[in-house]
Amino acid sequence: MLEFLQVGSRLLAAGEEAGHATDEHTSGHSTSTTHAAEGDHKGDHKGDHGLSFTGLGVYLAIVLAILFAWTVSMRKGLNGRFFTKWTTQWTEHMYVFVENMAVGIIGARGRRYMPFLVTLWLIIFIGNIVSLFFPSSVTGDLSFNLAMALIVVGYVQWEGIKQNGLFGHIAHFAGPKLPLALAVLITPMIFIVELLSETMKNVSLSLRLYGNIDGGHKAVVAMNDLGKHIANIGGFDVNIPIGMFLMPIKLLTCIVQAMIFTLLFCVYVSMVTHDEHHGDEHGHDHGHDHGNDHGHGEPAHA
Amino acid sequence: MSQETQKSGGAPTIALVVFGVAAMLGGANISANPPAFLAFQKDLEAQGIPLDLGKTVAAIGVFLILFPVIKSFFLKPLQEAIDQRTHSLESTFADAENLRAEMAQMKSDYEKRIIQTEEDARNQIQSQIKEAQDLRTQMVNEANARVEEMQRKAREEMEAERNKVLAEVRLHVADLSLQATEKLLNENVDNERNRRLIDEFIATAEVPGR
Repeated sequence: MLEFLQVGSRLLAAGEEAGHATDEHTSGHSTSTTHAAEGDHKGDHKGDHGLSFTGLGVYLAIVLAILFAWTVSMRKGLNGRFFTKWTTQWTEHMYVFVENMAVGIIGARGRRYMPFLVTLWLIIFIGNIVSLFFPSSVTGDLSFNLAMALIVVGYVQWEGIKQNGLFGHIAHFAGPKLPLALAVLITPMIFIVELLSETMKNVSLSLRLYGNIDGGHKAVVAMNDLGKHIANIGGFDVNIPIGMFLMPIKLLTCIVQAMIFTLLFCVYVSMVTHDEHHGDEHGHDHGHDHGNDHGHGEPAHA
Repeated sequence: MSQETQKSGGAPTIALVVFGVAAMLGGANISANPPAFLAFQKDLEAQGIPLDLGKTVAAIGVFLILFPVIKSFFLKPLQEAIDQRTHSLESTFADAENLRAEMAQMKSDYEKRIIQTEEDARNQIQSQIKEAQDLRTQMVNEANARVEEMQRKAREEMEAERNKVLAEVRLHVADLSLQATEKLLNENVDNERNRRLIDEFIATAEVPGR
């Protein structure tokens, strides 16, 4: 397995080198070419580079190929009254899990966001799984994660404006209604802090996922290095892939990170849309949805 | 479920795809020829934060295309299948519920019929018992009446027989008395007058046990 990963890493690196050479010719600017494994081999941890544009495209193609292969397999199992195909069953479990999460946090309206949530979940989850078997992955790239974070935060703002109107949504950033004297002093500060908070959501979402996936990969590589040339038997080096012992926890990370990303989207949507439904500017004492909330709305206020 | 999800289709799919393609091309261009204001990316990269906003823009374009594609090819058939199955299950449960209600109704009717049958049987038994008791009483009464009739007839016959015997005895006694008296008095007495005297005597004589 380790050999396979190393060969794959070299192949991807070779492809990226070609792209790198082209970039240098066109702009004279050295774009991201290397990958973490190679950097580690050289013992050079300074200037950590992400995937090149081509590399990201290759990994994205891998993720999409898996996604569409899974889709084709899943759709074949949709014919019967009972889903007997395992891909269909797993997909249904995933769908129901995401749906329950959305409905639990946002309320019945949460089902409106299912296409968005499922797309995010699938891309992140498959991207994370790919990172278990390849030197990197789309979710191990900060730029890609930032794109997802921008889409999430942008969609949340769009939903907030749709629910509360432009001024209502902006007023939401201004905090609670205060007496005039206090409002002059405190409201601008709250407004700025809230704006910063919204901006930082992009950073936290993207860095969290990037740190977990890329960091996990680096940990595996570092532990594999510990097991290299551990003994020499009959002229052959014995390598022990110690990093493979991290695979279970990395698998758990794959699921948890996909869940956290989608869960946070639900929480953000819940926070910007619950005001309109209760006519309460803060709404911290209430659930999210009339009639359909099952008491799971608390995380939105946390 | 599907209807609510269908509402989420905000921007038209074609616009999303067009914007997506534009973003991908723009992102590729930005990544290849980063503008001057993105020079901070090199500083970030030197600090170990590999950020390429060109890739970010291109990835946003990919997502704009992916959302409608996944919705159409992945979610829609899945949701339809789940909805169809849910409706099918609901229909099955409704049928089962109807059958259960029907069975409960049949059971209730059956129990009512059993209770009615038991009631009828009880009434019939009571009626038969009463009829038997009436018949018994009637038979006993008839038997008593017959016994009494027989007793009465027997008594009458006995009375007639006794009277007959008494008359015969009386006649015999009268004859004997006459014969005895004739022998004792040895004289010829008017027979008719004597007989009348004897009859008067016998009539006034007390018969023991009568």
